[in-house]
Amino acid sequence: MTMICDELFDVIVVGGGHAGCEAASAAARLGALTALVTLSLDLIGQMSCNPAIGGIAKGHLVREIDALGGIMGRVADRTGIQFRLLNRSRGPAVQSPRAQADRALYRTEMRSTLENTPNLHLRQGMVVDLLVEKGKVVGVVMQDGRRMGSAAVVIAAGTFLNGLVHTGRRTYTAGRAGEPASIELAEALKRLGFPVGRLKTGTPPRLDGRSIDWDAFQSQDGDERPIPFSFSTESIDQAQIKCYIGYTTQTLHETIRKNLHESPLYSGQIKGIGPRYCPSIEDKVVKFADKQRHQLFLEPEGHDTNEVYLNGFSTSLPAAMQQDLVRMIPGLEEARIVRPGYAIEYDYVDPQELGPDLQCHRISGLFHAGQINGTTGYEEAACQGLLAGINAAAFVKGRQALRLRREESYIGVLVDDLIRQGVDEPYRIFTSRAEYRLALRHDNADERLRGYGRDLGLVGDSDWERFHQRRERISKLKAILRGTRLRKSDAAYLAVTETLSMDLGDSISLEDLARRPGINAELVLRLLPRATSGTVTIADLETALADNLYAGYIKAQETVIQRLNHNDATPIPRGLDFRTLNGLSHEMVERLERTRPITFGEARNIPGLTAAALANLYVAANLAPNRP
Amino acid sequence: MDTIVAVATPPGRSAIGVIRLSGPQSLDIIRALIRDDKFTPEPNRILLKKIVRPSNEPLDYALVSYFEGPNSFTGEDMVEISCHGSPVILRQLLDLIQSLDARLAGPGEFTLRACRNGKMNLSQAEAIRDLINAQTDAAAVQAARQLRGELSIALQPAKDKLINIIVKLESALEFVEDDLPDVQVKEMTRELAEVRRTIHELASTYSSGHLLREGLKVTIIGRPNVGKSSVFNRLLRLERAIVTEIPGTTRDSITESVSLGGIPIFLTDTAGIRRAGDKIEEIGIERSQRAMADADLLVVVIDGSTGLLPEDLIVLSQAAERRHLIAVNKSDLPEASCIEDQLSDLSPVVHLSALTGEGFENLTTAILAPFATVDTEGVGLLVTDSRHYDLLRRTESSLEGSLVDLRDGSSEELVLVGLHNALRFLGEITGETTTEDILSEIFSTFCIGK
Repeated sequence: MTMICDELFDVIVVGGGHAGCEAASAAARLGALTALVTLSLDLIGQMSCNPAIGGIAKGHLVREIDALGGIMGRVADRTGIQFRLLNRSRGPAVQSPRAQADRALYRTEMRSTLENTPNLHLRQGMVVDLLVEKGKVVGVVMQDGRRMGSAAVVIAAGTFLNGLVHTGRRTYTAGRAGEPASIELAEALKRLGFPVGRLKTGTPPRLDGRSIDWDAFQSQDGDERPIPFSFSTESIDQAQIKCYIGYTTQTLHETIRKNLHESPLYSGQIKGIGPRYCPSIEDKVVKFADKQRHQLFLEPEGHDTNEVYLNGFSTSLPAAMQQDLVRMIPGLEEARIVRPGYAIEYDYVDPQELGPDLQCHRISGLFHAGQINGTTGYEEAACQGLLAGINAAAFVKGRQALRLRREESYIGVLVDDLIRQGVDEPYRIFTSRAEYRLALRHDNADERLRGYGRDLGLVGDSDWERFHQRRERISKLKAILRGTRLRKSDAAYLAVTETLSMDLGDSISLEDLARRPGINAELVLRLLPRATSGTVTIADLETALADNLYAGYIKAQETVIQRLNHNDATPIPRGLDFRTLNGLSHEMVERLERTRPITFGEARNIPGLTAAALANLYVAANLAPNRP
Repeated sequence: MDTIVAVATPPGRSAIGVIRLSGPQSLDIIRALIRDDKFTPEPNRILLKKIVRPSNEPLDYALVSYFEGPNSFTGEDMVEISCHGSPVILRQLLDLIQSLDARLAGPGEFTLRACRNGKMNLSQAEAIRDLINAQTDAAAVQAARQLRGELSIALQPAKDKLINIIVKLESALEFVEDDLPDVQVKEMTRELAEVRRTIHELASTYSSGHLLREGLKVTIIGRPNVGKSSVFNRLLRLERAIVTEIPGTTRDSITESVSLGGIPIFLTDTAGIRRAGDKIEEIGIERSQRAMADADLLVVVIDGSTGLLPEDLIVLSQAAERRHLIAVNKSDLPEASCIEDQLSDLSPVVHLSALTGEGFENLTTAILAPFATVDTEGVGLLVTDSRHYDLLRRTESSLEGSLVDLRDGSSEELVLVGLHNALRFLGEITGETTTEDILSEIFSTFCIGK
């Protein structure tokens, strides 16, 4: 390095949100001397929007983060105040854990986790520029003039890049309400040639819990048997709270519609694209005008605060108007707003700039993670942070990058979607994004990913040992399910056939029985041989049963996908110059160069690539002399 | 890359039969076959060689040509062996070559290799396929239609409905905390059954569509001297386009290709059938019967001027088990008796005169009637491609699986497996994805080694 730096690190992580925390923790634990630079050390791990972790598919991500050795799951388990497994009435693959967390506790816990990580150094300040030499990142410049050198930089700036907050017609630059935006860093990225777009997201008002008529709402309890996110968590120790469900009214809808001109969303003031699956209340009453009422959740923000999050009421209407509107909700007639809701526009960088390791093609050693890549959500951010942190450390140490495949993880699905297709609205994970949904369950994330975490060095001995024990218990349990038959002569037989209203013949193995719709783990547990039933946990049994339930479907699906795509694994030579391919239009070449597919399957998934272009690419891939 | 082998000439007895090899072992294999380790032929030349069995007995004298890669059809080293066209010899030689480490080529594999080696691209391959397969105007029209995406367009409403169902189920899974309407299983079952029916109906046009592409085998039979050959010749004269004489047929029956109503017809005239009087006749009759066995439709010719004779009844009894129609010839002469009254046969009867041509329009219509359920030259879209047919069938069976899951009350994610698979299969037709399998399937429509 030619320039003089105030401090030297292996890896610098810019941003202390959910992506930044995972990135810094992973890089440091993998032996890289790491700095986490953030605008405010007091707001590390801040949940900017709703105080909850997980949800459908998002819960899967958290469990995958945990299986790889990340920290989000553990922190959420220690600070969660209401745990619910969603989709309980459906199959195990689409069940997903979600937890309300105590917002302040989560921050404290996350910060202390980072502070107790060797090799990791927290620094407060604003990064305004990147130091780049010959296409390689070599450090960052701080607002106060400090220069920090490093071989790798992870940018996890969240909504701060050129952040612009809207409430009514008023706008001001901010990263989050009350915090400064990162204007210079956003400009620096543009200067470096990154294609930058504009996205929008929003957040609802927070209410004073003392001003709410709680009896007017329907209460919602957490699960009696909370399912933790982390495979290492043995018990959930936080006292559990209730949430509350309420509804909007027609009068409220009418009032919003009459005042749409006050909304920056409808006045044309907001240019960024917001997420369709998380609409503001303005959007809801305009686009679903025939809906009589919209559902709202009152989510207490923690044990030691009166603040209540009004989930479902995201809005960018003027603050004073928000107060009036909230009071039109039955039970909130007297409610006082503590913090108004707002919309925020921010810059994101086209994630097609990245490789599967989240490193930029344009500048080596530079990684992007989280909202800068056009995603939304804490879990989406955290898993990218983890991957970027792991790969930044790998880059520094000259080790092979970790790359996760679509068929083995939601993280793989997410990254693959981002880098192949880019985004045109804030990207959120869904189970339907995963072709192999049935194989990617929240409860088998350990089976899928623990090995990677261990090989990397992020999974400690005791966790590894625990994983092996669980694996062994499940395999034994499967043998028992296969070997145990329910017979006509058994006392339980009649009850089971009545439950199913189905003839089961003279006898049926528990393995076959458990595949029938309507049979749950509790019932199977009662049918197990007496000698084993006492030692079996529901969690292990559910995993064994889920493996059993889906095995046939997964196999059939694999056959279909392979039949259709059996050439997908054909590698495309790294150095292949797409311009030399016969008959490829300029546009096709551009698309290929942007995505840099590694396999034919990836190329096949590039939107807009014609069949003829693919055929030519296929021929070229097969012609490559250095094919293994 | 391994070495592949296949018979390049059509199955059956012929003057010569060609076996083709492609791959790095080609030269070594021919060396072993002719027992000459040093055999290094000049490329593109034809040499006469003795092929020897492992037992040291000669198998055949054959013409051997060597094509050196990359200047060959596939771009690899290739050898062509032209031997005598006996199926037995070809079979034995093929077995022998396979024992020397060559693998029997999959359908279209020679062309696939040509494509891989840059000898041909996908569009060229498709163009070749269409050229080869567009045997008649109507087939060409259908091929052009499919290229224009009419099948995709025809599938679109069903696909939209399917997507709609998927959307409903997916959102029920993904947005469990939102206040969504419950999935109406009954209504969804009905919608899904409708999609399946549409797919099924489209798939059912394949028999007609297939006909357009592959042609219809029509064999004319009858006792001697009823005018079979006259009917045959008259049918050929109906269309100006007599395509080719089909090689490899026996002297006893003649096959010609003709287009009737836009459908390619392979018309076979057979030796007359009667109770065998001597050995030679027996052989001729046997061949006629073989030609009958291959036919999609038999035309039984009867002489209307003589009325039904016992020999006609023998012929009719032989045709009874097969799809057939009855042509009462010589309508220019007075009819001896009402033929219809004497027939227990329920097959269609057409009166005609090969001499005047009277009644041949009716014959054409009758020949096509059982096959052409859809107006082949009109607006109806037919599935002509076996790949499309296969995909539609798979779509249908995936949808059926989902219907069973729905009925059993399985969870949404299981119902969705079949729906997504169905969509993948449909996507293969609507052309939104291209895979190795599509390439392979396209090549599969080529005859091996063409």
